[in-house]
Amino acid sequence: MIVPMKKATLIVLREDRDAVTSALQRCGELMPIPPGDAPPPEAGQAAESLRARQALSAIRPYQEKRGMFAPRREVSAGELLAPGEEAKDLLGRIEAASAACEEEKARLGELDARMAELRPWLRMDIPVEALAGTRSAGVYSGYIEPRSAALLAETAEAQGGTAVLLDTGPQGTAVLLYTYRPEEEVLLEAAAAAGFSQALPPCSGLPAEALKELEKRRAEASAAWEAAQAALGALAKKRDELELLCDQTEAAEERAQTPYGETVQTVYLEGWVRADRTERLKKAVDRVTDCCVLSFADPAEGETPPTVTQNNRFVSQFETITDMFSRPQNGELDPNPVMAPWYWIIFGLMMGDAGYGLLMLLGIGLFKKFKKPRGDFGKLVNVLWFSSIPTIFWGVIFGSYFGETWHPILFAPLDNPMAMLVFCMVIGVLHIFSGMAVKMTASIREGRFWDAIFDQLSWMMLIVGLGLLFLPQTRTAGGVLAIVGAAIVLLTAGREKKGFFGKVIGGFGGLYGITGYVSDILSYSRILALSLSSGVVGMVMNLLAGMVQGSVIGFACSLLIYAVGHVFNLAMGLLSAYVHDSRLQYIEFFNKFYEGGGYAFRPLQINPRFVDVTDSRENQGGN
Amino acid sequence: MTLGLILAIIGAALAAILPGIGSAYGVQIGGQAAAGVVSEKPELFGKLLVLQALPGTQGIYGFLIAVLVMVRTGMLTGAPAALSTQQGWAFFAACLPMAVVGLLSAISQGKAAVAAIHMTAKQPDSSAKGITMTALVETYAILALLVSVLMVFIGIPV
Repeated sequence: MIVPMKKATLIVLREDRDAVTSALQRCGELMPIPPGDAPPPEAGQAAESLRARQALSAIRPYQEKRGMFAPRREVSAGELLAPGEEAKDLLGRIEAASAACEEEKARLGELDARMAELRPWLRMDIPVEALAGTRSAGVYSGYIEPRSAALLAETAEAQGGTAVLLDTGPQGTAVLLYTYRPEEEVLLEAAAAAGFSQALPPCSGLPAEALKELEKRRAEASAAWEAAQAALGALAKKRDELELLCDQTEAAEERAQTPYGETVQTVYLEGWVRADRTERLKKAVDRVTDCCVLSFADPAEGETPPTVTQNNRFVSQFETITDMFSRPQNGELDPNPVMAPWYWIIFGLMMGDAGYGLLMLLGIGLFKKFKKPRGDFGKLVNVLWFSSIPTIFWGVIFGSYFGETWHPILFAPLDNPMAMLVFCMVIGVLHIFSGMAVKMTASIREGRFWDAIFDQLSWMMLIVGLGLLFLPQTRTAGGVLAIVGAAIVLLTAGREKKGFFGKVIGGFGGLYGITGYVSDILSYSRILALSLSSGVVGMVMNLLAGMVQGSVIGFACSLLIYAVGHVFNLAMGLLSAYVHDSRLQYIEFFNKFYEGGGYAFRPLQINPRFVDVTDSRENQGGN
Repeated sequence: MTLGLILAIIGAALAAILPGIGSAYGVQIGGQAAAGVVSEKPELFGKLLVLQALPGTQGIYGFLIAVLVMVRTGMLTGAPAALSTQQGWAFFAACLPMAVVGLLSAISQGKAAVAAIHMTAKQPDSSAKGITMTALVETYAILALLVSVLMVFIGIPV
């Protein structure tokens, strides 16, 4: 059912604002409505949670791997709402260590680049300062492309000078060019033409000594880098605290974004609250302040409250299937109580194998026990888990065990596909009828009794009548039923239209809707297709495994084929059943009665990512 | 070995080959799109994997028909039936719906899956809607599968 909502108006003194917001978040019952002139949220807290997240990613390379099934840390709500100074200190230390780490890494890179530049000059045995030359001899240093080096040497010789080729580095081959001053200009021009570009070695004094100095500094930087990494690695052990801080700052950020309206002395907040939980909200606020106004009102005309569905433990898990299509609107009928059993039954039919059902029951059960999935994903896992029961049931009915047929109670789909096809169609008709029945109930409740007869009952008669035509014993009754149903549709489908011709065309147009019903019902043949496909693939796996048996090694191989083959088939079967069962609900079932279009109830609440809150109030329907 | 049996084998082979090619293509373009999205949003991997896998079912359906033909003609037991030429053509024709529709629908479904993957990248909450839209394409592969199954299983006397 859909829970009625109340609109709450809360006015508190300015100084109580923070305490009240914390109380609201802890109680998790109020979904604030942003006022039209909401001030922009403060940026301070957002920066905090961003810092925490960045620090988390900084220590990620250093932290220990957690097991797949490691349980989440549990903390109390009070702990989560009050960030400790210690964690903030930790955040600062991680940021400092991470910055130091980055800095040392950059320094290392810079030193490496400088050393690479210096290396070609190592063989130069005169200090850089001596490169000025003497009165009659000039010395020039520079680089040349390695392939032009020989050419340069020849040019220099020809002009009465000498080119000493040193080693090659990233900028080219280092060259010392000695010239005889009187012929210097000619030589330099010729050298430039050969590709020589003048440059001083990137150091002072002897290059070899400069390199030694750089190497010393690199060793220091390297040690500092390792120290910074070690520090970060040590801090990575405090990942739990940092994750907690991350959740804390995010919760604080959400509090800061609560859209309060303001007056001089007070702040006010409007929001939706479940009609049956107003007392809880009142208590939570009263606990922190005795000076406040809290009033509740029914939603006014034109206001659409968010949707909270409340169902029993079984049905509520299937809400996630409906929500993925579209949430029901507040005030509409909740489709979940009708949809859930059908989804459950049809899922079982599509899987239809007792062995696979047993695997699902155990496998998903173990997954649930160790991983504790929560939220929408948790509900989906529960849906699959619950569906193992009908899978086993139908597997026994149809005698299918890991793809092998063994004593079917009804019949085996593989041996008698026609019977299974008819069975699927009958399931489909019942499924569609139950959707139409929901629509009829809603129409009658709204006082439109005849609409229910004309739009739904007539079609039910027509479809049942057509179905009965196939059996010889009921052929007459079926014919009568079908004709009466068709006549009602023909006569009433155009009743909203104006004029005689409009009504006639409307009537025929309505009758044409039979194609829609036929295609809807035929669509249920996919149940047969899916159950056949998982059955046959399972059978093939057994066949393959049977072929290799015969020796010890063959037997071991066959075990491997059994395991891999059936797990693959089970996974593909689960995917297909989930997708196609959802489709049958969304397209064939929902279009008979359901509109949807509601939006989720997202109260201000504690919603941690990394930890579990132990003493928070139970939050049904809060998502 | 009769000509009829050879025709049935060709039919079964086509049922395994064509939808397999289609599914491989569909899953491939889905995988390319999904890999692009995952490079920026790794947390969407699970949702996108489902979308990528959707065009893969045609290959399984085709495989299913091939196996059913092999079962019906006794190829798996090592004693293949001596099919008449007419029976062989009948098996060949029965394989065609799945072979042809499987090939083309898997490619089409792959394209729909790519669009749904792009939608999920922008709005992760609407992945289920994308799954539904993509699954609609598969309806026709399922209908073709059923026609082929019924023909192979009960339509042809052996």
